[in-house]
Amino acid sequence: MSQFDGAGGGFQFDLLERNEKLKEKGYRVPVARKTGTTIVGLVFREGVVLGADTRATSDTTVFDKNCEKIHYIAPNIYCCGAGTAADTENTTALVSSQLQLHRLNSGRESRVTTALTLLKRMLFRYQGYVSAALVLGGVDFYGPHLYTVYPHGSTDRLPFVTMGSGSLAAMSVFESKYKDDMSREEAEKLVYEAISAGIYNDLGSGGNVDLCVITRGQTEYLRGYAKENERKFRKPQGYSFPIGTTSILSSTFEKSFVPTPLVSDPESSSTMAVD
Amino acid sequence: MWNASVVAVPATESIQRPDFMPYQNNGGTVVAIGGEDYCIVSATTRLGLGFAIPTRNVCRYSILNNRVVLATAGMFADTVTLHKVIKARVKIYEEQQDKPFELRSAAQLLSNTLYYRRFFPYYTFNVLGGLDEDGQGFVYGFDAIGSGEKVKVVCNGTGQALIQPILDNQVERKQQYENKQITNLSLEEALDLVKDVFTSAGERDIYTGDAVDICIITKQRGVFVETFQLKQD
Amino acid sequence: MFLTRSEYDRGVNTFSPEGRLFQVEYAMEAIKLGSTAVGIQTAEGVVLAVEKRLSSPLLEPNSVEKLVEIDEHVGCAMSGLIADARTMIEHARVEAQNHRFTFDEAMPVESLTQATCDLALRFGEGVEEDEDKEEEMMSRPFGVSLLIAGVDDKGPALFYTDPSGTYIRWLAKAIGAGAEGAQSALQEAYYKSMTLKEAETLALRTLREVVEEKVESNNVEVAAVRTDTKKFVIYTEAEVKECLSRLENRDSQ
Repeated sequence: MSQFDGAGGGFQFDLLERNEKLKEKGYRVPVARKTGTTIVGLVFREGVVLGADTRATSDTTVFDKNCEKIHYIAPNIYCCGAGTAADTENTTALVSSQLQLHRLNSGRESRVTTALTLLKRMLFRYQGYVSAALVLGGVDFYGPHLYTVYPHGSTDRLPFVTMGSGSLAAMSVFESKYKDDMSREEAEKLVYEAISAGIYNDLGSGGNVDLCVITRGQTEYLRGYAKENERKFRKPQGYSFPIGTTSILSSTFEKSFVPTPLVSDPESSSTMAVD
Repeated sequence: MWNASVVAVPATESIQRPDFMPYQNNGGTVVAIGGEDYCIVSATTRLGLGFAIPTRNVCRYSILNNRVVLATAGMFADTVTLHKVIKARVKIYEEQQDKPFELRSAAQLLSNTLYYRRFFPYYTFNVLGGLDEDGQGFVYGFDAIGSGEKVKVVCNGTGQALIQPILDNQVERKQQYENKQITNLSLEEALDLVKDVFTSAGERDIYTGDAVDICIITKQRGVFVETFQLKQD
Repeated sequence: MFLTRSEYDRGVNTFSPEGRLFQVEYAMEAIKLGSTAVGIQTAEGVVLAVEKRLSSPLLEPNSVEKLVEIDEHVGCAMSGLIADARTMIEHARVEAQNHRFTFDEAMPVESLTQATCDLALRFGEGVEEDEDKEEEMMSRPFGVSLLIAGVDDKGPALFYTDPSGTYIRWLAKAIGAGAEGAQSALQEAYYKSMTLKEAETLALRTLREVVEEKVESNNVEVAAVRTDTKKFVIYTEAEVKECLSRLENRDSQ
């Protein structure tokens, strides 16, 4: 297969053998960016609420303070992703495009279970090497649905779920406060509390709270539902550097490029029509 | 990441106990600035462990006397032990020699104490700050096995890579070629700088957060400690 | 002097019923046989001067060494069993260097004296230092007395130590065979505002009064620790000569 031929579908494995050889010689595989994360989902009376924090980390460094972890799947279906950032982004995007094609072909609204099946098939095929841990939620013909999908392809269907490194903190909130048949306001507040528990108690999670509320016929993406972790302090004088702070050690001028003049010469321009 | 991986143990091999892991990293950042007639020694209060925060308010500094303060990042159990050892040595010194413990003696004592553990070190990253014999503020930065030097500004710990370049630029005017002399920051300017660099590190380093204890050492007031809040996430 | 010494002076660490340690007291006696040494403290520094007993014209005067450096800011004069002094001084030198190594500063004179005296009473049947290592210690008290002179953060200081391990600070002190006479001579002539030069001549004058031989540049040693330099310096023979001529000039006036 040609190196440039990605159209055949699936991953290219042509560098695998080389990489194994390099590993034997002691070269390290580059580390991927992971989103130490808190993501949750909750079913309420009219639909589902999805929630996520906004911190992306690489080892102990915060890579992105305000990233989007709730991914679009279909107008009535969204999916939170935890794990390797590239895997969650591409897996959800791939399934999203497959569903779009399906809608165009069938002319019907996508169903959550279809998205679920596509996701788990993909993840199972790659035996956990695609490290995406997902919370899938949406409302379709049959009503609200909420699932978790594990990196190896197993799934759960539950009224409230959490995932990511902050899942324990978030789950403790759900376990103590979840009720069946909550109102939209109650559900939003509880999801916000669960994500906050992750943000404050898990070092892999942080930043803002994003929510996505899906009800029949309506989806509201509440980006920045809570912003409690904005910078608090800035040095009053700021930082200023007077001109000349970086000295010019030497300077030479070279004619390397002669731009074509925009106006060629006054003589010819005067002959141009002017209105 | 979340799924416990199942490890099969071949029948021929005996089951091994987990490796002896004597160290853990609890993170934390320490900064010290020496001024004309003051010194600032500061340390964050978050105790991190993996992705957890066991405690948000630990004390990473020790006031050795009214002109010398020690602050330590790294493993907290080692920090506590090291501080206990140094404080005991200072107390014995001050009783035996009947004179205050000088900054440079503290530096020498700390360096020796660390180097004696050359092959099983205290997992600690220390800064030592205070007023020297002439009343000028100076600081020392040490690695885990006692290498250190007397400087004007230093940072150690998990936020070091984020903070040290800013301090070099702002305190020692590094990279400011037309402005080579060390500008003398006033105590207020230095305090604002310390608060600013900790706030910035708190944005990007997951082990730097919650609060920072700032020890201000002056001849007039001795050691005065204030706490500055950082983000909790 | 000793009324009830029967038997109780055999063991080095047995008290007599009167509460005396005879061996320590005998050690003090040994010092009274030693050569005379004088120390004088002034604001400008401390002077030490010792008599060298040159019992034979064939003896090499330079090989008789009774003034030694402990650290660069501390020196010491000795009287009594010089071999014992060497053990104590070796200990003092180690303590001084250890202090420098640990604290990056010169050891205060008093604590150096204290550390030296810590060794004085460590005699006995063998002391268990380590659990499995029984170290053989000294079997008797040191028969030596020291005058330790130095300058530290608190200024100049002169200490006197004896075989009991006691140390006392003096402004001017004499030890050795001529101690009694020398001490009263010092008491007579000493005054606090004395200069270092005046202390040099007083020290030599005192020695001249109590020493049997004629005091000359080859049979006395002089040293000083100056307050300004904080350095212990043993005088060369030429410098001693200069001090002696000053003393003679004073006499002739």
